[in-house]
Amino acid sequence: MQALNHLIQSLLWEPTVDKSIDSLPVKTNALGFDPWGFSPRQSKLYYSLAYRIYQYFRPEIFGIENIPAGRVLVVPNHSGQLPFDGLVIAVACLLHATPPRLVRPMVERWFPTLPVVNTAFSRSGAVLGDPINCRNLLQADNAILVFPEGARGSGKTWDHRYQLVEFGRGFMRLALQTQAPIVPVAVIGGEESIVSLYDVKPLARLLNAPYAPIAPLLPILGPLAYLPLPVKFRVHFGEPMHFSGPFDDEDEIIDEKVRQVSSRVQTMIDEGLARRESIF
Amino acid sequence: MANPVTMITGIAGGLARLVGAALVQQGHDVVGVDYRPLGPPLDYPAQTYRANYNKTRIEDVYRRHRPQCVLHLGRVGNLKERMGKRFDLNVIGSGKLMDLALKYGVRSFVVLSTFHIYGAHPHNHIPIHEDEPLRAGAAFPQIADAIQLDNLASTWVWRHPEVQVVVLRPCNVVGPTINNAMSRFLRSSVVPVMMGFDPMVQFIHERDLVAAILKAGSGHTAGVFNVAGRSPFPWSEALNRIPARQIHMPATLASAYLRLNRLFSSSFPPYLVNFFKYPCVIADHRFREAFDWEPWVSEAESICSTVGRSTPART
Repeated sequence: MQALNHLIQSLLWEPTVDKSIDSLPVKTNALGFDPWGFSPRQSKLYYSLAYRIYQYFRPEIFGIENIPAGRVLVVPNHSGQLPFDGLVIAVACLLHATPPRLVRPMVERWFPTLPVVNTAFSRSGAVLGDPINCRNLLQADNAILVFPEGARGSGKTWDHRYQLVEFGRGFMRLALQTQAPIVPVAVIGGEESIVSLYDVKPLARLLNAPYAPIAPLLPILGPLAYLPLPVKFRVHFGEPMHFSGPFDDEDEIIDEKVRQVSSRVQTMIDEGLARRESIF
Repeated sequence: MANPVTMITGIAGGLARLVGAALVQQGHDVVGVDYRPLGPPLDYPAQTYRANYNKTRIEDVYRRHRPQCVLHLGRVGNLKERMGKRFDLNVIGSGKLMDLALKYGVRSFVVLSTFHIYGAHPHNHIPIHEDEPLRAGAAFPQIADAIQLDNLASTWVWRHPEVQVVVLRPCNVVGPTINNAMSRFLRSSVVPVMMGFDPMVQFIHERDLVAAILKAGSGHTAGVFNVAGRSPFPWSEALNRIPARQIHMPATLASAYLRLNRLFSSSFPPYLVNFFKYPCVIADHRFREAFDWEPWVSEAESICSTVGRSTPART
């Protein structure tokens, strides 16, 4: 088992990932873990694997210098059935931000129940998408990656591509509570990576999954139809948005602030789509 | 001037014996009580009694010794005992111990609860504070008596300010003299490992917990407090430090093995199974601040000393 691990590590090992992770200012205990399970040592393997997937999508990154030092909420649109958009943003922040930033993705509540995936995510810095986790991490000046559309965003069908679904309010309340800036992000390309024509909701309920997408080539390719297409990702980081006011304000007042963020993300998506000449 | 008198319940157990020894060293008179056979004699001077906490004999102990402090360390966690008996001892008995403490002018009363009552759950955030929901009961009714005991003691904190009641919720207690389910599991020759799950876990060494209990019994603060060891780490790091043979199997099989095993050979509580799958990491900064306490035993030594191994030197 250990020999297999070493073989995988040597095949995947990416020196730039190593260097970036070594430069992160993370606080770990004597055994090399933070309280949420992030391990700089083990994350090198997972980030090296993520880097290979990142290369597959050949992303173009714009405006990453907009990520400020200290606490910040990175707020993108969500798409593509599987969280490749989160992976691309996390790798971009680690390899292209100056200095390298570890973003802590907030994951859906069903991820901790998935074998292997839960461990890979937590060793790489992801945490359960819970307001208290998020607040604690922001107060410790971390960068948080949160998808306010949630699973409704990533599970969008083809006819709703690049149309944001309603953002939740939680991220805004946390930004107000911790006085953290929000960096809006538009991810172009995710919608075409894995296309869903239809969401079979009864099947999703049966599998205890948030959605059950039907891929266009499913009748011909079977499960292979869910392999992501080698589309090119374009990730646009917007300028930080600052908000003030009580975090426990009435929903209508929070909703207005949330709308400002979602409008900004939608505008960035529309501009990114207009500039795109090819999906590949 | 007479020595202060401290009554300790659960004196047949390893932890209570250690606490008694530390108190005797500090010049206290120790009175030990247990519902179980008392086992080998203590190696320090102490009066010991075998008495159920819910029977009249327990009042004789209060009447005879007039303790200023009661350390209720004798919560019955062993599921070999019938649910009815555990309820009698843990809920009715603890209530009686507290009523008698009020009647006989006890100044401080420490209840050793457990962090198991929070439950290991996929939706747990990190860390969990003292005022958060106790999830364990929803999935595991077997732990209802421990939750009731904790609730009972917690209400006493504010109902009876004349007694300084401290409720301690320690994480997994381990150490060479501890014989609870987790320590026995770490010492077993074969352990099932749930494939694909490696949650963060916390252990507190017996020496650190003894120091925490002594501080809690000092009587200067009341409240409900989590108590944890140095820092959380993945379950696999604990397994790497024990000599047991690890058998990796799907989580459902491992759960079934642990639950079935309980029927035949051990008293492994079913609610502990989830602690090998999902995190339950507690925050204990309130206790550290209130009692000026901190754990000294390292994460690695806590595990190694439990299984009789020396701790590898850090490089």
